[in-house]
Amino acid sequence: MRNKRNATIALVLGTLACLVSGWLLLRGATSLETFPLNTLNPQGRKADIIYSLVVPVFAIAGLVFILVEVGVLWMAARFRRNHDDVEGVGEPVQVHGNTGLEIGWTIVPAVILAVVAVFNANAILQMDDTNADAIDVTVVGQQWWWEYRYDIDSDGTVDIITATQMVIPAGRDVKLAIQSRDVIHSFWIPALNGKMDAVPGRTHPLVIEAADPGIYEGQCTEFCGLSHGVMRMQVKALEPAAYDEWVQRMTTAPEQPTDEKALAGQEVFVQQCTSCHQINGLEPGAEAPYLYADLPNPNYGEDVGSTLLSQNAPNLTHLMMRDTFAGNLLDLYQGDSAVAVETTVGSAEAVPSGEPDTNNLKKWLRNPEDIKPMDPENNQGMPNLGLSEEQIDQLVAFLVTLK
Amino acid sequence: MTIVHQRSPLELPSGEPLTPPKPLGVFSRPKATSGWKSWFTTVDHKKIGIMYGVASMLFFLVGGFEALLIRLQLAVPGNDLLSADLYNQVFTMHGLTMIFLVVMPLQSAFANYLLPLQIGARDVAFPRMNALSLWVWLLGAIFFNTSWLFGGGANGGWFAYAPNSGVAFTPGHGMDFYAVGLLIMGIGSTVSAINLTVTVFNMRTPGMSMMRMPVFTWMAFITQVLLVFALPVITVALFLLMFDRLFDASFFDVSKGGDPFLWEHLFWIFGHPEVYIMILPSFGIVSEVIPVFSRKPIFGYPFMVGSGIAIGFMGWGVWAHHMFASGMGPISVLAFSLATMFIAVPTGVKILNWMATMYGGRLRFTTAMLFSIALVAMFTIGGLSGVTHAVAPADTQQTDTYYIIAHFHYVLFGGALLGLFSGMYFWYPKMFGHFLNERLGKWHFWLMIIGFNATFGPMHMLGLQGMMRRTYTYTDGQGFNVWNLVATIGAFTLAVSILIFMYNVAHSYRKHKANPVDPGPDPWDARSLEWMIPSPTPEYNFAELVVVEEFDEFWHRKYGHDEEGRLVRIAKTEDVVQKPGATGIHLPSPSYWPLVLAVGLPLVGYGLIFNLWWAVPGALITIMGIFGWVMEPADDPDGGHEHHEDESPSDDPEAAAELTDGAESGEASDEETVAADAEQTEEAPVG
Amino acid sequence: MADVAEIAHEEIEDVEFPDDSHATSTGISNPKLAMWVYLASDALLFGGLISTYLIYKNRPGEIPGLSGSPVRISELFDIPFTSMTTFILLMSSLTMVMSVTSAMRNDQVRMRLWLGTTALLGALFLGGQIYEFTVFVSEGLGYTSNVSSSAFYTLTGFHGVHVAVGILMLVAMLGMSLRQRIHAEAVEVIGLYWHFVDIVWVVIFTIVYLIP
Repeated sequence: MRNKRNATIALVLGTLACLVSGWLLLRGATSLETFPLNTLNPQGRKADIIYSLVVPVFAIAGLVFILVEVGVLWMAARFRRNHDDVEGVGEPVQVHGNTGLEIGWTIVPAVILAVVAVFNANAILQMDDTNADAIDVTVVGQQWWWEYRYDIDSDGTVDIITATQMVIPAGRDVKLAIQSRDVIHSFWIPALNGKMDAVPGRTHPLVIEAADPGIYEGQCTEFCGLSHGVMRMQVKALEPAAYDEWVQRMTTAPEQPTDEKALAGQEVFVQQCTSCHQINGLEPGAEAPYLYADLPNPNYGEDVGSTLLSQNAPNLTHLMMRDTFAGNLLDLYQGDSAVAVETTVGSAEAVPSGEPDTNNLKKWLRNPEDIKPMDPENNQGMPNLGLSEEQIDQLVAFLVTLK
Repeated sequence: MTIVHQRSPLELPSGEPLTPPKPLGVFSRPKATSGWKSWFTTVDHKKIGIMYGVASMLFFLVGGFEALLIRLQLAVPGNDLLSADLYNQVFTMHGLTMIFLVVMPLQSAFANYLLPLQIGARDVAFPRMNALSLWVWLLGAIFFNTSWLFGGGANGGWFAYAPNSGVAFTPGHGMDFYAVGLLIMGIGSTVSAINLTVTVFNMRTPGMSMMRMPVFTWMAFITQVLLVFALPVITVALFLLMFDRLFDASFFDVSKGGDPFLWEHLFWIFGHPEVYIMILPSFGIVSEVIPVFSRKPIFGYPFMVGSGIAIGFMGWGVWAHHMFASGMGPISVLAFSLATMFIAVPTGVKILNWMATMYGGRLRFTTAMLFSIALVAMFTIGGLSGVTHAVAPADTQQTDTYYIIAHFHYVLFGGALLGLFSGMYFWYPKMFGHFLNERLGKWHFWLMIIGFNATFGPMHMLGLQGMMRRTYTYTDGQGFNVWNLVATIGAFTLAVSILIFMYNVAHSYRKHKANPVDPGPDPWDARSLEWMIPSPTPEYNFAELVVVEEFDEFWHRKYGHDEEGRLVRIAKTEDVVQKPGATGIHLPSPSYWPLVLAVGLPLVGYGLIFNLWWAVPGALITIMGIFGWVMEPADDPDGGHEHHEDESPSDDPEAAAELTDGAESGEASDEETVAADAEQTEEAPVG
Repeated sequence: MADVAEIAHEEIEDVEFPDDSHATSTGISNPKLAMWVYLASDALLFGGLISTYLIYKNRPGEIPGLSGSPVRISELFDIPFTSMTTFILLMSSLTMVMSVTSAMRNDQVRMRLWLGTTALLGALFLGGQIYEFTVFVSEGLGYTSNVSSSAFYTLTGFHGVHVAVGILMLVAMLGMSLRQRIHAEAVEVIGLYWHFVDIVWVVIFTIVYLIP
């Protein structure tokens, strides 16, 4: 009798505990503000496909979870040996098995899984579909940042090379061609789609789409060495008109700096930075006046003999058109937060507004390894150039003109 | 008495006795079977099993320490306790330690100790090879950990994806130790797997057909078969990596045409069966413990065995589900996704059969039983989260996040380790002749369950909220703060529970020393053959070989059932179990050579990594070990290794046999009387 | 050991055993079964190495812009020569069979003779392989030249090591037979290994050398 009472208590408490843990699990489902990388708040049609599969699968799994856990708890209470049990009296019936039952609990889960499998197969085959107005972006992973290459007019030449923050038009499919220049990385914007590995020597397709304008946080998810943990990126989705404006700005050379300090900074840049970083038109050994080009050189790193293992560093021509830099670790513009982690849905601007956060830029230039662990001795990442404070001032004054 | 002689590899088992040549002078065999020195030369499967267990528990402390470092680093956002580089080493070494130095050898410990007992054998098929596999593994494991002294541990992840694991991207010796260390340990595992496979095939006691073997024997056997086929695949991969790193080959150098996918496929073709290698023995342990403490037979024995075999087979067809995000194309993803979903079916069958075994039983909540029930409950969670990412599109969101970490810790900790702890409490009296304290055991259990769920439960949330794996830090704004702190507190709770376990071992030993209480052969009223013999297991295992007539033979000698199917005792346990003190059973002699052979391998390993010339002494030692092994008499012809309890050892085997005969008629009961075959004491030839 | 024949046990007198149950449960001796299991494992080792070669064999020519030698190792093959060494290795399987037969007939002298011949043929094959390697290296394709050469040398090198180990076992057995009588099964077990190594070579020869 006592066992039966305990069993009922176990049943109730067990169910409650399961429900509470389920609630804890799904509590954050709606919040992209609290959890910028949330996988349970899809913001585009590809992520929707996944989410519409995740919900029923989690529901089925949750049901089985409750049945098994509560079942185990109930049995533990119900069939517990009591202190007054005597050997030989009321011993358990020796059941060796039941073929019907066995076949039943083989077939029933198999059938459930078969049903799920149909939806699963359907979803897998839908993942690569694109609409006719899709645009193409080449995504290149390297230690430890992402590069994006746009061929706007589809003429086979690269028109825009940018880094860290990818800009796409909202409401349109974006066909990504994901590549790597060194080791395996994985491109992941949870709000827009699942992951896709960037494997050297291969090109992998991934389609993303953002229903609304906004900034969507991302993260490299394949272990890629030292700074894998902070290899972050963003996708900025813009209204079609804003996207056109962005393209317009990105394919036009920035204005030449005019004040003394910035010009001196330009000089420092050409001497110190161009052996890895490209600003369209500037090259190592060039002489003033430094003229910008509209189009980037897609093979810049190889051409200047960059010693980096990936032979490539971020193109900084339109640095200030981005909201963040240093692999999405630092904000370029002064804002609410010191760090660049955010997912905001609803609005985004083609040209960032506000005051440049020169402190962040200076912090980075003083010693990049403080911000992001790198191994320049093994040609992985940016070395500390040992710039003087004056040079840093000048460089920053120059960099903020790159818009 | 039954005479057991060890066959040399060159002798026909059914052949007529051969004339033994004189052993070659210096190569006489060690004789001691007790004292600390005997542990280095023993070929006794029980001692080997215990050494596997003790060593892997020590490595468990190492791996656990690494886990605590990980949790401390991630306790708060932006922590700088560990540098990114050190963190990468620590998480890589944590994974490798827990897999290759803890869970796999722990299952080896149980398999070594129990397989011969459960099939009624006196030893494994090749006792010296058994010792070899222990020493090769142990020295390989130590070798692998010495990488900390040579510039840092492996830092490319346990999966060591190329090309990041190559010398260009990961200079330093960590990944060299990874490749060479795992190769050495792989030799040990292969030898062990072949040995135990043959043991189960060939060494079963009369009447012990395959379908009468205990479920643990079955699961451990399937594990060995999986090892036999999975290890060569990782061996190939590790050789390619080693040649790349140490000899400038270009298997994974993309600029020379190498393909990183080759590594991924080879690794996971091994890596997925590896998961079942780690979990199946625990399934076996639970299938032993639950029936004993439910006083009911295992429900659906043929289905338990069949589902184990099914898991073993299907485990080969699902490896690429680790690669859903690797870009292998939708058709491959589809095929592997569907295959993966259906591997849940045989696993589900097991869960339901355990529950059906408990249903209607009379459950005794010993610590062993608690751990087993916890396995059923916790593994279910790991299994279900597994189903959620068998669905490939969902997996592309979940893979490489903390959701996966939660999943495989529920499988490998909530599954494998809880099962292994259950086995420790269950078989401890059989192995050491005294119980582990049950009160402390329950403290251990509850703290471990609470700590375990507090550590890994929140990781489900973290993963779904987007926290990626293998990250040395996170930022305040990412929303990961709360659950990471909870997980860290949980990890320390786990650590306390392990301390309690260790205290329990020491405490129980001290109490036993002060006041020895014989647990008797059958302390739990159990079912399989190992409970018929005294505790701790005598050196010869079975004084007489048991003839098996049905599944759960021992149980059925104790119990029948009435017309309602209820349990009825038909014989007293004391009348069924074997008496201690058998004499004259001839056991395989200890040997130096397994240890000698194994010592050479790590030296060769250092040579490969640092300077090939340094490999020469190692190779010489190994060759000497092989030579000594082959030349060693299969048994020491001077005798002296018979298990003598009552009579003084005799130098003349014939006389010893006669003595044995005489002794038996005096003290052994009729049932135990076994004719000694004097002829058989003649030694097998040099092998 | 399951030497149950020696057990005089009342209970088991009426239990029926298969005839060979006094040896092992399956009737196959432990060493022989262990060899079978080992060979099954080894088959997967070669499976992995052959797959590696197949994936990599054409890459130097197919993928433009690779660093390293553009020559595929298969362009250097001398099929008639390798056919000859393959034939020699196949013949060694035959002599191995003769050796096992002699051992079974208890003809130790012939057994030694055939063992020696087998080892000699194996050594000839190995010599041929070493000669082949030196030719390839002298033509410019060393171990690290490109992926096809790395994969080729690794695969055939592993096979060569297997042959060398086999020769060592044959010679060791030959040596021991001078000191004591060798049981037929020991020869048979080594024969299993030897035939396996031969079969693997036939597969390698077909897949690597003959199929373009």
